[in-house]
Amino acid sequence: MKKQKNDILQGTLTLLVLRMLQAQGALHGYALTSHIQRASAELLRVEEGSLYPALHRMEQDGLVKAEWGVTERGRKARLYSLTAAGKEQLAEEMQNWDRLTEGVARVLRYA
Amino acid sequence: MAWYHRFSDLFRRGTLDREIDDELITHIAERTDELVEQGMSEREARDCARKQFGNYTRRKEETREIHLLNWIETVRQDVRYAFRTLGSNPAFAATAILSLALGIGANTAIFSIINAVMLRSLPVENPAKLVQINSKEAGSELTNPIWEYLRDHQHALSGVLAYSPDRFDLSDGSESRFGQGMWVSGNFFNVLGVPALQGRVFSAQEDRRGAAPVAVISYGFWKRNFANDLSVVGKTVRLNRHEFEIVGVTPPWFTGLDVDHGYDVAIPITCEPILNTDRSKLDNRSAWWLRILGRLSPGENLQQAQNRFKALAPVMFQETVDPRLPAQMQKEFVKSTLSLQPATTGFSDIRTQYKTALFTLMAITGLVLLVACANIANLLLARATARGREFSVRMAMGASRLRVIRQLMTESILLSISGAGTGLLLALWMSRLLIRLISTTGNPLDIGLSLNFSLLGFTMLAAIVTALLFGLAPALSTTRGGLNHALKENARGALQGFSRFNLGMTLVAGQIALSLILLVGAGLFVGTLRNLLTIDPGFSRRSILLVNAQFKQPSIGKDQRIQKYNQMLERIRAIPGVISAARSMRTPITNFGMNGLTFPEGYQAKSRMDTLAWLNLISPEYFNTMATRLVMGRDFAKTDDVKTSRVMIIGESTARHFFGTSNPVGKTIGMDTRGDKRVHYEIVGVVEDTKYQQINEGQRLTAFLPVDQDPEPDSAVNFEIRRAVPLNALLHPVQSAISSVNRDVSLEFQDFETQVNESLLQPRVVALLSSAFGLLALLLAGIGLYGLTAYGVSRRKNEIGIRIALGARRGAVIRLILGDVAMLLALGVSAGVGASLVMGRLIANLLYGIRPNDPMEIGVAVLILTACTVFAAYIPARRAAGLDPMGALREE
Repeated sequence: MKKQKNDILQGTLTLLVLRMLQAQGALHGYALTSHIQRASAELLRVEEGSLYPALHRMEQDGLVKAEWGVTERGRKARLYSLTAAGKEQLAEEMQNWDRLTEGVARVLRYA
Repeated sequence: MAWYHRFSDLFRRGTLDREIDDELITHIAERTDELVEQGMSEREARDCARKQFGNYTRRKEETREIHLLNWIETVRQDVRYAFRTLGSNPAFAATAILSLALGIGANTAIFSIINAVMLRSLPVENPAKLVQINSKEAGSELTNPIWEYLRDHQHALSGVLAYSPDRFDLSDGSESRFGQGMWVSGNFFNVLGVPALQGRVFSAQEDRRGAAPVAVISYGFWKRNFANDLSVVGKTVRLNRHEFEIVGVTPPWFTGLDVDHGYDVAIPITCEPILNTDRSKLDNRSAWWLRILGRLSPGENLQQAQNRFKALAPVMFQETVDPRLPAQMQKEFVKSTLSLQPATTGFSDIRTQYKTALFTLMAITGLVLLVACANIANLLLARATARGREFSVRMAMGASRLRVIRQLMTESILLSISGAGTGLLLALWMSRLLIRLISTTGNPLDIGLSLNFSLLGFTMLAAIVTALLFGLAPALSTTRGGLNHALKENARGALQGFSRFNLGMTLVAGQIALSLILLVGAGLFVGTLRNLLTIDPGFSRRSILLVNAQFKQPSIGKDQRIQKYNQMLERIRAIPGVISAARSMRTPITNFGMNGLTFPEGYQAKSRMDTLAWLNLISPEYFNTMATRLVMGRDFAKTDDVKTSRVMIIGESTARHFFGTSNPVGKTIGMDTRGDKRVHYEIVGVVEDTKYQQINEGQRLTAFLPVDQDPEPDSAVNFEIRRAVPLNALLHPVQSAISSVNRDVSLEFQDFETQVNESLLQPRVVALLSSAFGLLALLLAGIGLYGLTAYGVSRRKNEIGIRIALGARRGAVIRLILGDVAMLLALGVSAGVGASLVMGRLIANLLYGIRPNDPMEIGVAVLILTACTVFAAYIPARRAAGLDPMGALREE
């Protein structure tokens, strides 16, 4: 499959989802996609389908929990929200991200 | 999602599939809606949404895989963790696995026998369609005339066959060597769908009278005696010293219709006159010896076929009635009916003889397994409580209760599977041992007990059920109350009685109750055996050698037999070491029996069976040899022969039954011979009552006639020899004594005591096994109680220390601990006694001379149980009383 330019790195997706759930509370998959796109001012584009394996993995790992609910348009959907473990994971990954971007930025600046 | 949901997802992919579909489709639908709102056409919007979503099928697969992989991963983790925790306490693991192996092994062993003799279908083509033709009045074994009539006249079944199991002497003479044989009809193999592996099977030509002596042999016999020789067809096999030409070999999977043992040789029914020159059964309308089976036509059920047979019966019985029968009996005979019975599982004496015993043993081993489960549950409970801190920490770190329960159950399942695996190996060995135990020289058993699917299934089921039984309750109980409770549990210093261990106490009380049931059962079975062994059967079992001599017909003419047999008897009596000897038609305590209606002088029969007497033909000295007491009158004498008037000796009960208190000697009893002729016998003596076919039979009416007055002497004769020398020393002299009179003889030697003991095999085996299992249960219950008490003591160290420091005496401390145990014991015993009384009724017909609610037996069982449990609890109690108070308190 052809890689899109702004594909989100695999690990980063988890971080973004966790952050979005922290900010917005319970969300279904479609809402998550739209929120991420909107918040990034359309810079980041998730290949929408790839969100779901990621969400289910996070659920199995206990980072998020899911329950059945309905969308604003009245459709049946699974609503995801953060767990305690998810919150810890988010804090940790945000730190990691900061370190990574800072490191990368330094290299780019001073290399 | 709970683990069991995920587990079921694997098998019901549907639910998970649908849920993922729902979720993904919602996404696309939401996107489509939004794009339409932005002004796209419906069709464009849908395409666009699809495109943005990417590869639907692949994403769905990925999502589903995550569930599967996660499930596998957690199982792997759980199993690894379970291995580690069990490995860290090998003593516990070994105890648990061993007791499970014994419990499951015993259950599987009994099941494998039940499966082999009761449940498994015959190894023939479509066994579900096989039926047996029975007559309620005449029985399940029918005459050859009936068979021939059915063969030629029935159309209700798609094929009918007749057969009769028999033993054939395979030896060339001298000492007999028996093989399992079958008399079969010509179409026997064809109806069963058994082809020939070598040569041919029988066909309709073997149904013709006077057919050549031919035989079909089994694969096993071919392998053992001919070493799979490919040119076996055309060779001969010797049966009762007559040559039969082998025409074919059957495939290895066909072992005959009797599941107790395979078959060696099958010969045509029409060859019967070759072996029985004296009185062939072929045209005998009163020789009931053939089992007749048939195969239901396709599309027809048992009921339909049965209705057609009903219509056939009146004409058939009219055609086959024995004209020599008394008129009244002929009239009854023609009114007989026919019925069909499924014959899918074949025939088994073990099935009929041991059915109740096998189910009882199954129940016993089931109870033992329950006791073992309770023990393991208790051990697990104690361990789980000791591991409380571990679980608290895990739950504090976010593991759900279900996750912890799953972990505990994985350990339990690992234990039960290891136990079941070992148990299965044990079972394969134990079932063979058990079969060898109930095998006799007269009836050697060869039951197929190799590993099969139903056996594996049973063991698997046992493993799962036991894991649930012993694992679930402790897992639920230790994780109940959650985090706070678990952490508080570890707080020390509080006064703790047994109160907290309700589940543990219930388990031990249950064990005590179950053990009591098993002990009471064992007591009853042992009591039964003791009664059977000590009962006076009216003869001595010791030092009597039985010799069965078969003469090849017609090597001694009928008119010479009495004289020749007596000549042999005289020569046997002359052998040094022989105290006395006699001969008879039958020996006591064998299945073979002969009875007849009697007409005693001056006695009015109350019913037809009221005058049925069981008979034997004996020589003078018989009672002396068997040590049967002569109560009145005289023994038979040499002068009681065909030339003198007919005489009879009767048993005490018979005398009382017919003549009350008046003197029976000199009175006469009439009996009908064939052809409706009544012969009158004069009673010359009365002997003490003797058992006839079984030691545990009720008293039958018995009568003895002089063998020298037998109008039709048989070609076989039994000698009873009371000996003063070892049995082996007599074998050769007896053989030469007999063959010096007639060379052509084959002999079978049997110790009378063995014959009697073998008849008591079933009660003996049940007594032995129930005692062994009772003791095992007692041991397990003792261990359980010991563990519980020791554990209670270790938790109450503090309290006990304080009590001792405050001046409590040793006795008081012991009483304190035993007080708790006494309560458990009382609870368990009362439940056990109640259950024993209920269950006792189920085994009533396995008992002899003892009632199932015998207060003595129950009392003894309670006593044994109490002694053992008090002992088990006393050890830790005494240790508690010996505590150093300072040490105990300083440990805090």
